[in-house]
Amino acid sequence: MTQKLLDVENLTMRFGGLLAIDDLSFSASKDQITSIIGPNGAGKTTVFNCLTGFYKATAGSMFLNKENERLNLKKFSDFKVAQKAGVARTFQNIRLFPQMSVLENLMVAQHNKLMDASGFTIFGLFNAPSFVKKEKEAIEISKYWLDIIGLTHRADDDAGDLPYGDQRKLEIVRAMCINPYLLCLDEPAAGLNAKESAELNKLLLFIKKEKKTGILLIEHDMSVVMEISDHVVVLNYGKKIFQGSAKETKNSPAVIEAYLGTEE
Amino acid sequence: MKKNFLYSSIKDSLFTGLIALALFGPIVGLRTVAKNEVLVVSPKWFIVLVIVIVCALGRFLTNLYIYNRDQKYGIQSTIGKSITNFLDTKGTQIALSAIIFSVIFPFLPFTDRYLMDIAIMMLTYIMLGWGLNIVIGLAGLLDLGYVAFYAVGAYSYALFAIHFGWSFWICLPIAGIFAAMFGVLLGFPVLRLRGDYLAIVTLAFGEMIRILLLNWYQLTKGPDGLTGIPRPSFFGLPFKSFPEEGEQTFHTFFGLEYSPMQRIIFLYYLILVLALITNLFTIKIRKLPIGRAWEALREDEIACKSLGVNPRNTKLTAFAIGAMFGGFAGSFFATRQAFISPESFTFIESAIIVAIVVLGGMGSQTGVVLATVFLIGLIEVFRDFESYRMIAFGGAMVLIMIFRPRGILATRKPTIILHKKEVTK
Repeated sequence: MTQKLLDVENLTMRFGGLLAIDDLSFSASKDQITSIIGPNGAGKTTVFNCLTGFYKATAGSMFLNKENERLNLKKFSDFKVAQKAGVARTFQNIRLFPQMSVLENLMVAQHNKLMDASGFTIFGLFNAPSFVKKEKEAIEISKYWLDIIGLTHRADDDAGDLPYGDQRKLEIVRAMCINPYLLCLDEPAAGLNAKESAELNKLLLFIKKEKKTGILLIEHDMSVVMEISDHVVVLNYGKKIFQGSAKETKNSPAVIEAYLGTEE
Repeated sequence: MKKNFLYSSIKDSLFTGLIALALFGPIVGLRTVAKNEVLVVSPKWFIVLVIVIVCALGRFLTNLYIYNRDQKYGIQSTIGKSITNFLDTKGTQIALSAIIFSVIFPFLPFTDRYLMDIAIMMLTYIMLGWGLNIVIGLAGLLDLGYVAFYAVGAYSYALFAIHFGWSFWICLPIAGIFAAMFGVLLGFPVLRLRGDYLAIVTLAFGEMIRILLLNWYQLTKGPDGLTGIPRPSFFGLPFKSFPEEGEQTFHTFFGLEYSPMQRIIFLYYLILVLALITNLFTIKIRKLPIGRAWEALREDEIACKSLGVNPRNTKLTAFAIGAMFGGFAGSFFATRQAFISPESFTFIESAIIVAIVVLGGMGSQTGVVLATVFLIGLIEVFRDFESYRMIAFGGAMVLIMIFRPRGILATRKPTIILHKKEVTK
């Protein structure tokens, strides 16, 4: 049995009197796409915010298993989750840098690596060869990802000028540019048409297969969920009500009840 | 349709006239004069009438030509487009010729003492504008207390030079470091603030520094100011008309006739070099990871965090580096004036620098130069009509905001380009 990449154990998040996540445990594997689904307000995005350090979980633990270390994500605060632990995320409402070019967006994602190479700006000011080399590498990585999503010809345009679907894809590859172990996608298919959804599926499957990055996915679009998820976790009112494969989920009475209500 | 538009713009301008009447009627129209030791109201309705007509007519014309949506190519877009196009295509040539012009400027036939003084003042503001551009234009942190760093630079230069007798070139970096330290000091408490709240706190910080300078009498001599700040020397050669026995001065060393202009010209080149260093540094750092992180932080802080960019360090470096250049400019100011007092570091200075950056087009280096020449030049032109200077200043801002709502130069060029061919297009 392969070791799980992410172990969430007894995660609880409380906002005052509101229990947003109630004793949630699940795990995600390295080369699998794990979907988190549930009705509106079920606490899906809150799980993401806890994982990526935007919220501090009230109780419980989240472990990220790398090759030879086991990190408790709870110990990292906001930006350190991405910087030190290698957990990247995208947002429900796209958060690109709209007035910066597409390429610049990807370069910002490689900030920490380049910052070290630039010797905290001092070497960079004098164009030290080691920095120039690193920068070229970063551009190559950006180009690689732009080729994959077919946006190379628009690399120098403002990210805010891209069509909506392309912005979604750009946000995903920007997150991939930090070279993450775990990629958390918050409703990547929201607002996409059928063709764009299909392209998104292809991109996610590529990331899973080629990059061996674990993907955690919040999604409402069931065509995306059913087609690409290896594993589904269903939440309702902050509790896990079901987990299993996509097919099992579709036929589970508990899930149907949560979404449609019971016949009375 | 068209008639309707004319009708509504006439109505709108009449309304503007009414507002002008309500405002200027009591302020301008009712003037009190002392007559036989009694205050008597002497109405000046004619001036009020002129003002009201000017306001109404101005509104009417702007309605017709600028805010007219039916007219596809109004004055605004035509002028704006041609300016942008011109500056985009000829940007490098313009910058180069501006630099060449400023290098030969002191030796042009019409250049006199007065013009040199204005040029030095403009260059000081340009340097401050470029420094503040890092904080406001790149990092997007609205800093209304920038003059504080200018003051810290000036005072630390003055104190070190007076008490230790160190030369300008030693005191300059020290002043910069001190100002940068104050930048960090301001940066820490405001890390979580953005926008309006940040502006208020920075404004208060600027006032705090001024009041501190005013009241710390033992150190700063308070309102009396610091006098006798050493003048800069040309690599050890002072500018003096009557050298002491055996002392080499600038004019004796080079075998020149003594002239007070020599020192002015030296000061001019000094600030030119300092300003150009600021500019080169900013252009370069914008293309480095830290510069890109500043701009990313301006665009979206949460996205930055999700990519592992440390917002605290990034903001603090922006504050520190911006403040450092303010400090350099401050020490230049101190050595030029030879006298500084808290009077020189009031809020209006901060406001002018912010206006220069915003009107120039946030983040645009050339825009800062254009805005400085425009605003400071205008203030100087109106020097003889003292009470109208601020009106001219305000009017200039209104004009820029009408014709170029996002600043004189609002286009942003990417810091890194993948397809070289597209640039030359």
